[in-house]
Amino acid sequence: MIFEKRTERIFLTIFFLIALCIPLFLEENSFFVGKITTVLILAVFVMSLDFLVGRVGLVTLGHALFYGLGGYLFVILTPEYEAVNFWIYAFYVLGISALVALIVGVVVLRTSGIYFIMITLAISQMAYYFFFDSLEFGGNDGLFIFMKPETSILGVNFLNLDNPSHFYYLALLAVLITLLVIKIILRSRFGRIVEASRLNPERTEALGYNIFAFRLISYVIGSTLAAYAGLLFALQYGYVNPQFMTWEVSGTALVMAILGGMGTIYGAILGTITYEGLLYLFEHMSEDWMLFMGGAIILMVLLLRKGLAGYLEKLLEK
Amino acid sequence: MSTELFFVQLINGIQYGLLLFLIASGLTLVFGVMGILNLAHGSMYMVGAYLVWYFVAVTGSFTVAAMLSAVVALGLGILIERLLIQRLYNRNHLDQVLLTIGMIFVFNSLQSILWGNDPYGVAVPDALSGAVPFTDNSSYPIYRIFAALICIAIAVALYFVVSKTRLGMLIRAGESNREMVEALGVNIKSLYTIVFAIGVMLAAVSGIIAAPMRSIVPGMGESVLITCFVVVVIGGMGSIKGAFVGALLVGIISTFAAVLMPTMSNMIIYIFMILVLLVKPQGLFAK
Amino acid sequence: MSRIKSLAGAVLATTLTAGLSTSVLAAAGDPVKIGIMLPFSGIYAQLGEAGRDGLKLALKQQAEQLHGSEVEYIELDTEAKPSRAPELASSLLNQHEADFVIGPVHSGVAMGMIKMLRGKDTIMIIPNAGAAAATGPLCAPNIFRTSFSSWQPSYPMGQVALDKGYQKVYAISWNYGMGRESLDAFEESFTAGGGEIVEKVLLPFPSTNFQPHISDIAATNPDAVFTFFAGGGAIKFVKDYDAMGLRGKIPLLGSGFLTEGTLQAQGDAAEGVMTGLHYAEQLDVPKNQEFREAFNTEYGHYPDIYAVQGYDAGQAIASTINQLEGNISDKQAVINTMEKLTIDSPRGEFTFSKAHNPIQNIYLREVKDGVNVVQSVAAEALEDPARGCKL
Repeated sequence: MIFEKRTERIFLTIFFLIALCIPLFLEENSFFVGKITTVLILAVFVMSLDFLVGRVGLVTLGHALFYGLGGYLFVILTPEYEAVNFWIYAFYVLGISALVALIVGVVVLRTSGIYFIMITLAISQMAYYFFFDSLEFGGNDGLFIFMKPETSILGVNFLNLDNPSHFYYLALLAVLITLLVIKIILRSRFGRIVEASRLNPERTEALGYNIFAFRLISYVIGSTLAAYAGLLFALQYGYVNPQFMTWEVSGTALVMAILGGMGTIYGAILGTITYEGLLYLFEHMSEDWMLFMGGAIILMVLLLRKGLAGYLEKLLEK
Repeated sequence: MSTELFFVQLINGIQYGLLLFLIASGLTLVFGVMGILNLAHGSMYMVGAYLVWYFVAVTGSFTVAAMLSAVVALGLGILIERLLIQRLYNRNHLDQVLLTIGMIFVFNSLQSILWGNDPYGVAVPDALSGAVPFTDNSSYPIYRIFAALICIAIAVALYFVVSKTRLGMLIRAGESNREMVEALGVNIKSLYTIVFAIGVMLAAVSGIIAAPMRSIVPGMGESVLITCFVVVVIGGMGSIKGAFVGALLVGIISTFAAVLMPTMSNMIIYIFMILVLLVKPQGLFAK
Repeated sequence: MSRIKSLAGAVLATTLTAGLSTSVLAAAGDPVKIGIMLPFSGIYAQLGEAGRDGLKLALKQQAEQLHGSEVEYIELDTEAKPSRAPELASSLLNQHEADFVIGPVHSGVAMGMIKMLRGKDTIMIIPNAGAAAATGPLCAPNIFRTSFSSWQPSYPMGQVALDKGYQKVYAISWNYGMGRESLDAFEESFTAGGGEIVEKVLLPFPSTNFQPHISDIAATNPDAVFTFFAGGGAIKFVKDYDAMGLRGKIPLLGSGFLTEGTLQAQGDAAEGVMTGLHYAEQLDVPKNQEFREAFNTEYGHYPDIYAVQGYDAGQAIASTINQLEGNISDKQAVINTMEKLTIDSPRGEFTFSKAHNPIQNIYLREVKDGVNVVQSVAAEALEDPARGCKL
């Protein structure tokens, strides 16, 4: 099965059970439903990063490029005051994002290590400058998405995205899809070669595999999933801004992934929830929330050798 | 562009590049010797600037303030290394990155708590104020010339220390083969503390020197961090010579780009870095 | 395991109770909820703090106007990050049900807030962000601004330049909304009077590498330079300009933010700089002296324009509540009342235009002995054209 570890199965079961119930209990409070929706969307983004960094071995600080791109592509492709079909346009957005990832990947995968980090950062910063400077695409003020898309399939409409609870389930579905996609890939032959290329690139190549191709495909998959998250993020409040593509966004996601437990994938969900939870707590507690946040991060790094997931596994795996 | 203007811009570029070198030198030194990617490096630059502002307000003398700030920064570097960095030597690089990110949060918050969020300025010390008449219309500030000279002096000193002294030899040895150095009876722990503290002090000193030429504001560390990384990557991670060349190139290119194509000038540096990496994937003077 | 279960239960319980909405109409005696969305960390923190301090001072001073209602503040740090804007605004609107939302400083955050709050059951008052769109194409009945539109401080400076006989001006700023809009506004009036913009330079935001441009200015040798920079960038630009020997040789003009909150750091380098703004510290308006002393007594330092703008937001709220005798349950009544207010501001009295932007004087100031001294009124009761607003 694709969920090998007992801890993973326990965590995911509890997570999905609670997640499914939240809108039922909190229907009245659209803010909290919305807040948790945002956390779910972020979890998709962080999982896709964890896949690239923790499993494929590509430490990218340019992941936010695709996060922002997902939203911008939607705004660019859709007419301003028309409710388009979500599934069709998601397909277009993800398709174009994958294409962009392919082109970017071909360029950046020629480097590795710290150089790879910097070149991915450079490309996402350049995209940020492009959108920041561009008057046609809203510039530093960003753009609005006025009409939420409709979600009918073959004439059957079951989600009204203007309803925060419905949008929530769309985000939860995204978490599920992303989790399954990544886990199935990792379990497949493709996934095992990709991991082998992370652990021992020379050997893998000696065995005749074209590592570059495997990494490129993985990069495209990871980046497309990030665009999927970005699309949802933009749709949630109907707003895109170049700031969504900055290295700070990539960096924060990296922090969440590492905190959660690099490479575990389910750890990314845990890391996102923990980070956002702590942030919410500290922000409402004190104006000096940054001090507490920094302190919490430092403590967690020092104490949790393998992140939160690692700690949980230590407790639960026999 | 007239020849005169070209010459002026070249001087501007070199001076900017020299300052960039000073900021970047500590980063590349620490990474080269210890393998640590210190993302809080920009915060150290900020700490240097805020410290010198504070001590100038207290003592009234820039020289005294500068020396005090450098000493405090050195102490801070030792403290951080002993308390935090040391615990992560056997850990994954990403854990080290995470630790330094946590440090950025902490330093930014401390800056706000200790010194407040208003923008500050440090006046150029009287002895170095004034300008040398340069062109018909403008004159070149003496302080900028002084700053450039200091950067050159420190570069020379670094070169001297690294290639001609015992400490430098240990640094170079530790870069290539840590276990061997330990086996030879050298206390690698102390070496690392010294190197990290020097790295922090270099960043702080660059903040001190830059202080009279810029404004001292929250977030000034992050704004310099990325340029720092670009310089170091172009030069080759871990190479001080590379950082020097990389810094001058970045300084000159961004200066000319600023006047020739102002709106695109922020992209030019990244494009340059990408081009360098495509041709030399490990930087110009990779180890 | 049971510890984990009880912890989960506590979290769920807290979440549930926090989530319960208590819809109570804010009748007289009920707390007035004021949500504040400003940056309290990062580069704009100083502006955020000043705005909040001004706001709170006004409401404290004018507490009797509130007809017995207590004020409840909810302060959220935007960090000037547009990505958090809609969520924070949703928190104030939906979770806390704020009657008024004050914010932001940063225009990108303003856009995110407007998306969430436009047309909703709350009043948004912008105490700083000058983005033209907020009282332009995106104007709305429930959005007010007590600060300025980017056009206002710069437009009159064109005529100022012409009056001083400057024919060729070098314009420079950052390449983003406020920078572009400021230079465009200057250009509009300057070229209409026959002036020539010899060079218009837009630097990437927020680059402070001014040295090459100052050398370029020296080489171009225009009659004057017009610029918009603010905060740390303003400090550095003015200092660099002086250090290169241009101060005194080529007059420096600017949108007032060039010398707001920056004079102490700029020192002598700012002497002689002329700027246009809807305020000046030493403005000879009785309300101004009163306000400055009250602010200093309360906070231990003197206020700047950012505090004035926050203060006026507070005054607008207090006056509105007073006129409605404490009953702000009818949002349309609140809007109608606020629209008709005359705010007795430290900057001089002002009213709101149809697009809800202040109709205010723009003062010409010159820095003398470390203070912005008012030379004249560059434009009286200047109303932003509100292009694109359908109100």
